[in-house]
Amino acid sequence: MNTVIIDGLSFALPLFIMAIGGIYSEKSGVTNLALEGLQGFGAFTGALAAVLVAGNFAGNSSIPFYIAMLFSVIGGMLFSLIHALLCIRFRANMVISGVVINILAMAMTSFLTKQINAAVFGAASDKFVLGVSNRITVPGISAIPVLGAVFTNVYPFEIVIVVVALAAWFVMYKTKFGLHLRACGDNPHAVDAAGVEVGRVRLAAVMVSGALSGLGGICFAYSISANFSNAIYVGYGYLAIAALIFGNWKILPTLGACLLFGFARSGGYRIVQLLAMPSSYQDLVMILPYVLTLFLLIFFSKHNRSPRALGVIYDKGAR
Amino acid sequence: MDKKKNGFHRFIGAALGNPRTQNVTIPLFAILIALLVGAIVLLALGKNPFGAYYNLLQGSGLAPKASYAGHKSMLTDFTSFLSYLTPMIFAALAVAVALRSGLFNIGVSGQMLAAGFIASITVGYSALPAPVAKPLVVLIGLAAGAAVGGVIGLLKYRFNINEVVSSIMLNYILQYVCSFFINTYFVNPVSRQSQPVSAASRLTLMDTVVGDLKMDIPLGIVLALIVVALVKFLLDKTKFGYEMKAVGFSNSASRYAGIHVGKSIVLTMVISGALAGLAGVTYYLGYFGSIQPRTLCDTGFDAIAVSLLGNSNPVGIIFSSFLITLIDKGSTYMSSTAGVQAEIADVITGVILLFCACTAYIKYRVARMEEKEENR
Repeated sequence: MNTVIIDGLSFALPLFIMAIGGIYSEKSGVTNLALEGLQGFGAFTGALAAVLVAGNFAGNSSIPFYIAMLFSVIGGMLFSLIHALLCIRFRANMVISGVVINILAMAMTSFLTKQINAAVFGAASDKFVLGVSNRITVPGISAIPVLGAVFTNVYPFEIVIVVVALAAWFVMYKTKFGLHLRACGDNPHAVDAAGVEVGRVRLAAVMVSGALSGLGGICFAYSISANFSNAIYVGYGYLAIAALIFGNWKILPTLGACLLFGFARSGGYRIVQLLAMPSSYQDLVMILPYVLTLFLLIFFSKHNRSPRALGVIYDKGAR
Repeated sequence: MDKKKNGFHRFIGAALGNPRTQNVTIPLFAILIALLVGAIVLLALGKNPFGAYYNLLQGSGLAPKASYAGHKSMLTDFTSFLSYLTPMIFAALAVAVALRSGLFNIGVSGQMLAAGFIASITVGYSALPAPVAKPLVVLIGLAAGAAVGGVIGLLKYRFNINEVVSSIMLNYILQYVCSFFINTYFVNPVSRQSQPVSAASRLTLMDTVVGDLKMDIPLGIVLALIVVALVKFLLDKTKFGYEMKAVGFSNSASRYAGIHVGKSIVLTMVISGALAGLAGVTYYLGYFGSIQPRTLCDTGFDAIAVSLLGNSNPVGIIFSSFLITLIDKGSTYMSSTAGVQAEIADVITGVILLFCACTAYIKYRVARMEEKEENR
């Protein structure tokens, strides 16, 4: 039971932070299928920074990890500027722009990883080895049955994510900027009439989504894969999009969706282990989160409503 | 200086300004820019860009290599290239058909896998003779793809489930289910892939002896060209094609016009899925001959971009598939000959697509430039 909760959380939280980024972007009216590419590019810059500075620190130091986190946020944000430029300034189709950015991110990071490995480290490798981040157990609380598992073997990034998520929730629902942002996705003309520039709000929203996706990406790189390679592109971004649509573009229900993915996944693995089934049965269990999502969507989708101006390029002159 | 700039403007205007040819000239412009970017990167790495680009052509059988292994020639390289091209054309058509109705089929890869897997285990592992097996593979591929596409359409129509989400979920489900069955029943312990399908069911005739050459003859490419014509006819000349376009432009307007939007959505996804199914059988039972468990092929995702580059036009798709496949397939040879990472090819593809996505903006800028010229 405890491992289910521990592993479930460490999968659900990075997914959740990416989904929040997606909510920011989509609530402001910019469709964002680029999460997948943004998390990959963010993880790439973070991993690169970590590998470059790793020599200056002791082997078990966690400072490279925090540097990686910082750079993944910057990297994701910078790469998201392409999406912003295409969708806001160049009036490109947002769905297409998202797909193109995914393709470009994957191509660029694979190319650069190989090239940098060859040029800087003189090794023919297609990955940056990172290792797994340290874990923390909160003494006292972790002894509580069941609930204590939430505080056992926690990755430090999970705490960062919770803090960032709280801040993101506050900004979205309690500040003027958040109000403008949500209005941009529903009625951009009203925002314009109120004297706020729609393009600028959307730019900020897309940059937030890039930053948060990068953060999510580096967390996956430091936990599940323990390195950066092409394997980071297994669809975390798409899963985050599914979660946020499932959560009806609201932060709290989206957390629920992410937890569902996380626990169904870790629970499935656990069942395979407990029943001592051959490992190929893992595949059958792995479909659990997705089947469950489809099934739940059948009941809940009727009331799903995307932001009204989602995917619509803002045109001042249109009425 | 001013005169020179003026000349440049006039050149751009002449090259890109004609609205009737913009659908062709702007993608060409994007390709040109991307090749330039690629050339700069190659130069920075100290490689000869012309040599590297020529390697791409050589790898795809469009230019002669310095030397060939026994029974191989430029022609065998080219037929192998065609065999690789076929699924891409089908997959891009699948995306284009869905896009016409404003639907975004991101599940092409999943539909391909479903079609390829079902055709493999039913016909591919049977002892049916070729004249029966090959048409059967095509039909099963059509049906399996159409079924998956239909489910996505139905979920959208009946339950208002966004097709992007349901396709992503189905992608995962199909990937794991197929992987489970392959790993449990059909795995080849050496290659860790599924058992190869019978030669009789392959849609590409492998290692056929022609003269002193051994070539792979892709039968699917003929089918692909026929299907391109059929899809073009469907989209441009039939009532349903018109309805699809109307639904794509505006759901509510089409409803007022008396179009059954739900039916149109489901039918569009069935057709799109069927095309993806054809891509699946020509991929898994054509170019390859087995299925790798736990992976979805890139073709389904690249197809979105290929369709975009071809303006979602069936004829345009032939050319865009040709170009993207050329860069993809040729990159292996380029990597081994010129000593460049094969991934540079993907970067070039990415930049092409990036500029293609800006089509609307380029059109707008060119129009503005011409206005200014006239006012002068």
